[in-house]
Amino acid sequence: MLLPGLALGAPAQGKDKVVFKVAMLGEGVDSLNPFLGFQAPSYEMWGLTYDYLVGYSMKDMSPEPDLATKWSTSPDGLTWTFTVRSGVKFSDGVPLTAKDVAFTFNRVLAKDSVEGTNWLSYLTGVKSVTAPDATTVVLKLDKPVATLPLLPIPIVPEHIWKNVSESQMKSYPAAPTGGKPVVGSGPFRLVQGSADGSTFKFEANPDYWGGAPHIDEVIFQFYKNDDSAIQAVIKGEADFVEGINALEVKKLQSQPGITAQNGNSPGFDEIAFNAGSTSDSKGTKKIGNPNPAVLDPKFRHALGYALNLPQLITKVYQGAGLPGTTIVPPNYTAYHWEPPADQKMTFDLSKAGQLLDAAGYKKGSDGKRTLPDGKPIGTLRLAARSDSPTSLNTMDYFKTWLGDLGIDSQVSTYSSSQLTNVIYKGNFDAFQWGWYVEPDPDSMLSYLTCAQRQHSSDSFYCNPAYDKLYNEQHVNTDHASRVNQIKQMQEILYRDSPYLVTAYSAIGEAVRSDRFHCLVTQPNPGGIWLEQYGVYNYIHMKPASDTSACDAAPGLTGAVKTSAPADSSSKTGPFLIGVGALVVVALVGGGIVMMRRRTTVEDRE
Amino acid sequence: MSVSDAPSVRRLSTRQLTRQRRLASYRRTWRAFRSHRSGMLGLGILLVFVVVALAAPILADSKGLDVTLANGPVLGAPSSHYWLGTDDNGRSVLTLLIWGSRVSLFVGLSATVISMVIGTLMGLISGYFAGWIGRITFRITEWMLVIPFLPLAIALAAVLGRGLVNIIIVIGVTSWPSTALLIRSQTLSIKERAYVERAEAIGGGRWHQMGRHVLPNVMPMVFANTTLTVAAAILTETTLSFLGLGDPTRTSWGTMLDSAYQVGAITTGSWWFVIPPGVCVVLVVLAFTLVGQALEEVLNPRLRARQ
Amino acid sequence: MSLVAEPGLVAEGEQPEARSRGRSYGSYVVVKVLGSIGSLLFMLLVNFFLFRVLPGNAAQTLGRGRLNTPAQVAAFNKAYGLDKSVPQQFLIFLKSTAHGDLGLSVKYRLPVSQLIMDRLWPTLLLVGLSTILSTLIGVYLGIRGAWSRGSVFDKISTSSSLTLYAMPEWWLGLMLIAGLGVGFAFVPGIFPTGGLHSPDVNPSSLHGVLDTTWHLVLPVATLTLAYLAEYSLIMRSSLLDELGEDYLQTARAKGLRDVVVRNRHAVRNALLPTTTVIALNIGFVVSGAITVETVFSIPGLGLLSTEAIGVPDFAVLQGTFLVASAGVIAANLVANLIYGWLDPRVRT
Repeated sequence: MLLPGLALGAPAQGKDKVVFKVAMLGEGVDSLNPFLGFQAPSYEMWGLTYDYLVGYSMKDMSPEPDLATKWSTSPDGLTWTFTVRSGVKFSDGVPLTAKDVAFTFNRVLAKDSVEGTNWLSYLTGVKSVTAPDATTVVLKLDKPVATLPLLPIPIVPEHIWKNVSESQMKSYPAAPTGGKPVVGSGPFRLVQGSADGSTFKFEANPDYWGGAPHIDEVIFQFYKNDDSAIQAVIKGEADFVEGINALEVKKLQSQPGITAQNGNSPGFDEIAFNAGSTSDSKGTKKIGNPNPAVLDPKFRHALGYALNLPQLITKVYQGAGLPGTTIVPPNYTAYHWEPPADQKMTFDLSKAGQLLDAAGYKKGSDGKRTLPDGKPIGTLRLAARSDSPTSLNTMDYFKTWLGDLGIDSQVSTYSSSQLTNVIYKGNFDAFQWGWYVEPDPDSMLSYLTCAQRQHSSDSFYCNPAYDKLYNEQHVNTDHASRVNQIKQMQEILYRDSPYLVTAYSAIGEAVRSDRFHCLVTQPNPGGIWLEQYGVYNYIHMKPASDTSACDAAPGLTGAVKTSAPADSSSKTGPFLIGVGALVVVALVGGGIVMMRRRTTVEDRE
Repeated sequence: MSVSDAPSVRRLSTRQLTRQRRLASYRRTWRAFRSHRSGMLGLGILLVFVVVALAAPILADSKGLDVTLANGPVLGAPSSHYWLGTDDNGRSVLTLLIWGSRVSLFVGLSATVISMVIGTLMGLISGYFAGWIGRITFRITEWMLVIPFLPLAIALAAVLGRGLVNIIIVIGVTSWPSTALLIRSQTLSIKERAYVERAEAIGGGRWHQMGRHVLPNVMPMVFANTTLTVAAAILTETTLSFLGLGDPTRTSWGTMLDSAYQVGAITTGSWWFVIPPGVCVVLVVLAFTLVGQALEEVLNPRLRARQ
Repeated sequence: MSLVAEPGLVAEGEQPEARSRGRSYGSYVVVKVLGSIGSLLFMLLVNFFLFRVLPGNAAQTLGRGRLNTPAQVAAFNKAYGLDKSVPQQFLIFLKSTAHGDLGLSVKYRLPVSQLIMDRLWPTLLLVGLSTILSTLIGVYLGIRGAWSRGSVFDKISTSSSLTLYAMPEWWLGLMLIAGLGVGFAFVPGIFPTGGLHSPDVNPSSLHGVLDTTWHLVLPVATLTLAYLAEYSLIMRSSLLDELGEDYLQTARAKGLRDVVVRNRHAVRNALLPTTTVIALNIGFVVSGAITVETVFSIPGLGLLSTEAIGVPDFAVLQGTFLVASAGVIAANLVANLIYGWLDPRVRT
């Protein structure tokens, strides 16, 4: 009889197979169909199964060759030509050609298609996609687009997907069926898993064009709480945990055999103001009842000097994260604008007071500030998200700092869905939320344009100068000049402060470095190991038993090194003790029961 | 007290007589209850917690609840300064525990009031009225019982939003069915009794009967059931807060456990954050249950017979 | 809930209007079955409209940062039928449910029936096993306790049951994880701390079955301990009620062994009220155990429905609530039928 002990702490890897087990927290996979899913873990699944035309540098996520070895634009920017590498095969042996790329993109372009819901914004302006030969893909645009070549669309096999009709697509699972793995060209093959499930199993693709992975299998297991996942790593049931908090990282850093870190993620948290809520994107009708103070950019900007961001990072983010500045995170070194020292908002309550005074928000006789026309400001309505402790704490601190300036405020909590409703109705003065920013900041910048009001704009900010710059950079194929425009846009936002960016958050991760090494962060240095843009580490990580040098990674630093093994005392000993104890208890209990059965009234009296 | 005892026969009005009889029965009930060891134990525990809850401002400074003022170590172990250690914001766990008792008890009691009022009304109506009123109310009660309770509470909390009053409403509105059923079966059995039939024969109206005969006889059960309902309400509040639906601006034992859970208390070894709130919940709920059980045995004539 | 068993909680469908000896069993069955179908249909209708009051909409909740343009939002809503008016959606809902199609989950883009089937097995394992174990153990403890009333066994059993009854089951689960999963001091943490099975084990193999069992020990223990408290207290209570009856004195005077007196007479009669509660709880099996599923990361139906609330994913909510209600109604129907067969007085 097999002892369940085999499933316990002892490293469950067989002699031949190297298995990398990831404990995932947070959102699960919502769809294995690359045209449908929205959640981050889904992207990880697609990244292992499929390939992309253009990849991301590990240093700063800028475009790099992937399936496309090179690309070029016509001088007017209306034609893009990609050269697809040859010799790539899908997992069922069928070669991958430019036709598969064209097929994939054309499905996205189909009018009102459900494929477009996810990817159409990356093909804005694209009129047609053709594959004149097996290694060339041509995109024809009706206007130049600056975001290209950002194309995070997984390339799917035409010979499989042409059989999925448009009406079938919206519920097509793209999952392994009948024991056969999903057909893709990526470094791994999905052999087991379905969208709502908690376990996903991948096998390495030995014929991967980018070089066979050094591990044989990757298995993802989703957990619902931090402790279970972390304990799984400590006990050895998992080798990696993704998405833990800073306190847990600190605890794990003292654990032998485990390397833990807080990695910078390309996202930010902000305090967003109501910059003028309207009923539609044209701004015809004002709705909601924003406080007149928050409508004034000078008022908002002054408040930027009342935020003690370093204290927020220490107390609310437990030290994991960086104080925020602009909406393009510093990870994106090419696009980030760092405010010069004389413009940077630092924690200076007296300066905040001066700026408020200068803008007309003077303190009244009761110590509370008034509007320029003399009326009291009243109570600012602050909204926090009840499902995020950082949200609540940030707003609690904000309320205190506002109070120090003589401004009353009140914090209400909402669930994320409720807050969305509140925002759309304009019934708020400020709220706390966050965004993830893609390698190309275009979409993030668009969220603050006038046209996005009542869509993705949650601050209702509308500035024609900003919009003008946005439209210009959107079609600007001259990189240097575009970067300049993007930096100008950040400067405008920094000055008008519809968002006060509070923090660039970090994601906690931990790896069994006594079992796996050679993982590299993205961005580098300072970023995260998994859920990157691309699947570099799955391909290049090595088991600790493989003592050969890590794959060459020019310019990258800080690869995870093998560490001393964790306490590998066998767990079967205690397990046997436990079973033995249970058996003894059962026997003794049973014996007592048996002996008692026979009494009658006489015996007992 | 019997009228024949008095040397000079005083004519007592009906009302005075009723009141004297009631007082006597209360005293009897109290005496019977006092002999119940477990009931007294429960009452004792309850008193301790009520005193702590009421005396919270004296026992612990309310400033200790403010996140922005907290400067203790993060998840610090119990020390001479922080007797039960600190939470993930640096606040004293003991302070949170003391102030949390207020919210937990308040929510439990208020939700019970709502639950008992609705439940008793629905129970009386569905038990007493034979026609379609009774049937409809019974169907509604049955429907509420059939729906899985926790998802319904969560859905209701999603609609109302998080807040102290809202969670009271959620618990009150989702927990009345079991009370209603109990009251209903009591009402049914009382309805059968002879004196009610006689009252009907004499010509007493429906509401008169409900008010004068059925209700007072149901009240003892209602009273006993109330304490048990409080126990259930406190458990529910703790569970809903643990699931992230409590009032985020207030601390209750449930929200403490939710924070502990989110922050990875087991991994970080912060037992002082996880065990005390749970123990408090167990003690309070146990106390209410013991009192309720004892009350049931004392007030239910059927059960008293078997002692 | 009352710890004193009250017979006929949901078993009594109608109020006893006449003290007749009851109609035939056949017509009783028909009445009960029709009543259950009626309840189910009522559930269907109410559940559809009930969830429409939930805040938020799927395109905003799921698509934040992904559905960038209004055109994309419109395409999303069109694909999943969210652009239709509520009455239209209701008609579609009626039509497809009549065909057994529970609709498409807007979060997972998969048929709701598939999602429910995927989650059903872990739920049955977790909650079903716990219900069976807790019923058997709880009833036994209640019987023993009542029979040997006042003894050491009774005292320990009753006080433990009361304490367990007062404990939130998820807190018990956390304690068990901390004590037996992680370990402390000299106690080794031998049990897994979460998940239904180890990631790298094939659950259908023999090794996998053992592995799944091993992973289920703590969660099932948690739920079993939580449920059995209630059963043991009710059973003890109703048996104590029964033990005072005259007919039992006769049986003892005749010299029948205690066990026989107890099992064949007293327990049988005392069991009837307990069965009602058990039936109700068996019905609740398919609604899952949300808190335990969260604490132990078991992918069950409870979590499926709670996660759907935040979206809101109407099809999943309608489907899971339907299944849960159907389970309770079916269990109650069975309980009523058994009750009616055993005790003709109930068949009014």
